Amino acid sequence: MFQNTKCECGHQNPVGTVLCESCGKPLDEDLLIDENTPLEMRYDGVARRSQKANPHFIDRIWNFFSSVKIAVYLIFITLLGASLGTIFQQESTLINLTERSEFAAYYKEEHGTAGVIYHALGLSRTYESWWFVALLVMIGTSLVVCSLDRVLPLYRALARQQIRKHLQFITRQQVVYTGTFEGDREAWLAEFGKQLKRKRYRVWQEDGALLAEKNRFSRWGPYINHIGLIIFLLAVLGRGIPSWHMDQYLSLYEGETRQIPGTNYYAKNDDFTVDYYSESELASNQKGTKVVKLYETKARLYECTADCDDPIKEPVLTEVMQHDIHVNSALSYDGLKLYQNSFQEKVRFISVHPSLLNASTGESLGSFDLLMDNPSESYEVGSYQLKLNDYYPDFSLDEQKRPMTKTREPNNPAFVFRVTGPEIRPEGEVYIYFPMPSEKSKYYEQLFNESFKQRGDNTGKFAIKVENPIVDGKMNNIKYSEYTTYLNIRMDKAMPYIWVGAAISMIGLIMGFYWQHRRIWLRFDDDKLSLGGHTNKNSFGLRADVAWALGRAGIEVTPKSLDNRRNLR
Amino acid sequence: MGRYRKAMQYIILAVVLLVGGYAIGNSLFTTSVVLNKGDKPPAFRLAGLDDKVHEWKDYEGKPLILNFWGTFCPPCRNEMPALQKQYEKWNGQGLQLVGINLSEDSLTVESFIRQVGVSFPILLDMDKKTEKAYGLKQYPTTFFITAKGTIQEVVIGGLLTEEEIETRVERLMKSNS
Repeated sequence: MFQNTKCECGHQNPVGTVLCESCGKPLDEDLLIDENTPLEMRYDGVARRSQKANPHFIDRIWNFFSSVKIAVYLIFITLLGASLGTIFQQESTLINLTERSEFAAYYKEEHGTAGVIYHALGLSRTYESWWFVALLVMIGTSLVVCSLDRVLPLYRALARQQIRKHLQFITRQQVVYTGTFEGDREAWLAEFGKQLKRKRYRVWQEDGALLAEKNRFSRWGPYINHIGLIIFLLAVLGRGIPSWHMDQYLSLYEGETRQIPGTNYYAKNDDFTVDYYSESELASNQKGTKVVKLYETKARLYECTADCDDPIKEPVLTEVMQHDIHVNSALSYDGLKLYQNSFQEKVRFISVHPSLLNASTGESLGSFDLLMDNPSESYEVGSYQLKLNDYYPDFSLDEQKRPMTKTREPNNPAFVFRVTGPEIRPEGEVYIYFPMPSEKSKYYEQLFNESFKQRGDNTGKFAIKVENPIVDGKMNNIKYSEYTTYLNIRMDKAMPYIWVGAAISMIGLIMGFYWQHRRIWLRFDDDKLSLGGHTNKNSFGLRADVAWALGRAGIEVTPKSLDNRRNLR
Repeated sequence: MGRYRKAMQYIILAVVLLVGGYAIGNSLFTTSVVLNKGDKPPAFRLAGLDDKVHEWKDYEGKPLILNFWGTFCPPCRNEMPALQKQYEKWNGQGLQLVGINLSEDSLTVESFIRQVGVSFPILLDMDKKTEKAYGLKQYPTTFFITAKGTIQEVVIGGLLTEEEIETRVERLMKSNS
């Protein structure tokens, strides 16, 4: 279909133009029906870039995303989708589960049938689901396309504005003044322009016409906001890049150093404290309950500097930071954050300091340090040598009555030593040692040593035990951890971009919200003066500006009388 | 101007397709740690009881049985002699058997291995790293891996009998030819 888009002023306008780009004459047929209604000034009446007479396939996709209506629908659907994710707990917040079947069982147990449906629909992973990501991508596309389609033509239109506008364009603005004028037009225009300049307008004049404009920059606010939002969205999608995002949990008993999986860092828990409020500090309805005052992990962070991937060698660790982690005070180093998550009261042996004794006299022959994790294999004790033959961290017997360990934790450790040294036979003597001061382990210790003696493996000459195991009611010569702390380890490399995006978005919003783009057009036709004013918001302010400047130039009007829309009603 | 505009349009839509496709693809194919038949097992690099470094690629190209075990797990202990027997029987024909211990102290591992008389390589996992990479839930777990480097079968829990191991070994050796 051929459409004549040439304006009477001679300007060739693109398809879809509402107001002639040059003179401002209304071109849209709807605007021609009633010559008194104020004009639709959106985007200054210019055509969107993508409006075409014969759109082809790519143009149609482009047009789809260019529509603000579609954008609003997309945002609405996304909000609706996002709200679905808040009905039940999301999978990502369930720390200990990893398998689909475990999650399914969890939702079934916690929420019954509703939970089963929720999980089956994939709503337990709403924010990672393909459809939610797709919606975000579509909103992002819509942001880019909508902005580009509008900002470029708008920029062009505002960059080359005609000073003398079509009469209908002026008289159909929201702020209008018309009157007759006698006298020196040029001198009056100069005076009127001067007054507007005092209100910080930029003023252009052209034989018998004037254009005054201020705060055009506020028109770019929404687009700057959109740039910020696009950066924000891209950053959110960037979390999908494996090395950009981490959210995991690490358990550490007191004194333990462990590698943070997936990083070159190691964390150590020096000490964990949990403090409760005393009875006198509690409110009356809390009396008798335990209310936590402080959870604190004294933590150290190490970086591996050498032999990191060598399974044979111990990694070389360099301390990079020390921090007391408590709620709202995370250890933060180079984008890595360690938060206090929870704790468990669990006694765990770290090391003991036993002595080798002469069993008959009780005389100490020397003492040594014995670690529960990776104990060394030989010890020099006085003039004797102890070689560690066997180690069972959690002693038990298997079906064939062979000694074994029940678990990997040193819950009930047992050590088998071969003692060699002066005044004993060259092959030495074998003893078993249970550091745990429980009756059962002491019983086992005695039983095994007795059977070793019967087998001829030892003579019962020695005993291995901790001297003074209890001092002032506390365990002596035994190192143990009372608490295991659980740290939440997070890394979010997208965060700086999210902040930058949010800041740019905020700048755009402020530009658009707190300033208004005001324009005033004026033309003389013989002795007839026509003035039109437009602002994108706060027309009250614009009317006040116009009335003030007119008054200063000798035409007294009330701001109210300038309201074109009001006069119509 | 018009041509430039069109090119811009194509470029923007192409970027959207690329970024969006990546993001959506990422959410569609979230990698699960559970290994199934046909998967390629994750690589490992561990110290052996022989104090040497053992890597996944050292074992590539020949059929391999990868057995995750611990001295604390009775079925693991019980099947160890059967595994050793099968290893002795098939080793000459190219079968490899590797035991990965579940992050125990080397001393504990060594004395058990000595007791049973295991001659195939025993590797020591550290801090459950390899175990996690293989998505282990129960012990023992045994992976039967073909010469092409894909998992033929995953057996969770004890194999117990030599026959049960043997039928699987035969299947594994056949897939080689």
